[in-house]
Amino acid sequence: MKEKSFHAIHITKDKCIGCVHCMSACPTKAIRVKDGKALIIDELCIDCGECLRVCPYEAVHSHTTSFAALDAFAYKVAIPSTVLYGQFGGTTLPNEILSALRRCGFDEVYDLSSICELNNAATDEYLNEHPRPRPFITPTCPVVVRLIQRRYPSLCGQILPIEPPREIAAKILRTILPKALNLPPEKIGIIHITPCPAKMVSINSPATLTKSYIDGAMSIRDIYPQILNALRKGEEDALMRHLFPETQFSGIGMGWSLSGGETRGVKNHRAVAVSGVVDTMRVLDQVEEGLLQDIDLLECAVCPDGCVGGPLEVENRFLAKSRILQLVDAAGERAVVDPKDVSRLYHKNFLSFDHPVAPIESRPLDRDRALAIRKAKRREKLFADLPRKDCGICGAPDCQTLADDIVRGLAVLDDCPFVKKEKR
Amino acid sequence: MPTAESVYRQEFPVKGGDFAKAGAVACRIKELLKDLGLDTAIVRRAAIAAYEAEMNVIMYAREGRMDLAVSAQEVHITVDDQGPGIADVELAMTEGFSTATPEMRELGFGAGMGLPNIKRNSDVFYIDSRTGHGTRLKIIIRTNGHGTT
Repeated sequence: MKEKSFHAIHITKDKCIGCVHCMSACPTKAIRVKDGKALIIDELCIDCGECLRVCPYEAVHSHTTSFAALDAFAYKVAIPSTVLYGQFGGTTLPNEILSALRRCGFDEVYDLSSICELNNAATDEYLNEHPRPRPFITPTCPVVVRLIQRRYPSLCGQILPIEPPREIAAKILRTILPKALNLPPEKIGIIHITPCPAKMVSINSPATLTKSYIDGAMSIRDIYPQILNALRKGEEDALMRHLFPETQFSGIGMGWSLSGGETRGVKNHRAVAVSGVVDTMRVLDQVEEGLLQDIDLLECAVCPDGCVGGPLEVENRFLAKSRILQLVDAAGERAVVDPKDVSRLYHKNFLSFDHPVAPIESRPLDRDRALAIRKAKRREKLFADLPRKDCGICGAPDCQTLADDIVRGLAVLDDCPFVKKEKR
Repeated sequence: MPTAESVYRQEFPVKGGDFAKAGAVACRIKELLKDLGLDTAIVRRAAIAAYEAEMNVIMYAREGRMDLAVSAQEVHITVDDQGPGIADVELAMTEGFSTATPEMRELGFGAGMGLPNIKRNSDVFYIDSRTGHGTRLKIIIRTNGHGTT
């Protein structure tokens, strides 16, 4: 019943010195320090990457696809997150970035902004056809989906059942490429270029698909030096590209990686965008309490400012955001997708989930209600005796969590250095 | 409610006018019910009812208190406030009726759905109010008898 879930974030024991940075940063209190090393509690981790951001010793490792893994494929396709367009300064155009990325070892590279626009049109259609419940929550951020499965299970039915652009793009390519190239599907590798490790989670254990259409996710940080190199070498064709307008890029989809970008193109509905993991949890709490029912669509992204604030980016997010806003301005409201096409795909269920998001069993104090009540009372008493300094020396992030760990049998009261002292 | 031994109790003070903390008690109640292993749907009903009740205290009363009691079979939430009381309880229970000020409405409150919403999410709902003294609500939600005692 309890299957081990895939995680994209791991602690490298050799590098971990057992400090408390990651433990205090974790929004779901999933980290403990035991025997001088940080460890992640599987059932609580949502792969948000907050620990990755704060570790001073590079001991938090994110598992993404390596260059070597590409060798398994005869034909390699990259579908980069639109965040990539903001990574190379104020003058490099998306066309140049895509052609540089192609020279890094891909046979073909596809832009996602048009698929983002397609997703917006499908979302509009879905919201029109489904007046309830409200709000629907966007499923683009895999961390939000996992967060809802674990902490807000009653909201699973409010996740908008339209696949995010990366999966739609990969599905289209999977449908077309094997025939076009006359290659067996498994020989074609479709790789997402990602600003966060969480995409590996939705690829390896998808919450809404039988199997992901994507084969892997390569970190922007890993591929950045190669792209930069290719950009330098390709200066001449970069010049050429200035002669051509970038009409293939969608103005509606271009800003998807910014908070509010996903909902900007949803024209006929009231939308709200939230970003950052703490604020996302605050708003999901409110939705669970019955609020925000006058909102049609709630965009949640756990990274600050949206995907553009992903932990695997290179450019600082403020510069990246400014660059992407420039590109959005330049592209304006340019639409590149035929609404009739979208409608056809939508009604064929080509864009839908394979199955609804299922709650992941939560972690009650005990399966026996009477015992759970007893444990909750004991936890209350224990907490009253703890110093409430939340120092983390016991190995739990705060006193409340230590009390919780004790009643679950994961820690003992003596782990608290203050309680120990008093006893002496 | 069965004997004290098998009941989890927790008391939460609520301060009138403290909009900054709006929803904090409902959130705590929700977390506790999840820890006790209650069904998702039950937790959600309790969370909605608790939130509406908490907001009523914050919006109209000087101060109040929410008491949570959970047994294996039932969740009880009792809300007591020292507020103006409700002159016409029957009218207050009507959907759309509200005495919220324009300021409250500007904040998105006062749609007149509070009390009816609490009732809708409760299995048993009592309201007792005296003008000039305060209001007491009692919300009971059954946990579907999943408990073992």
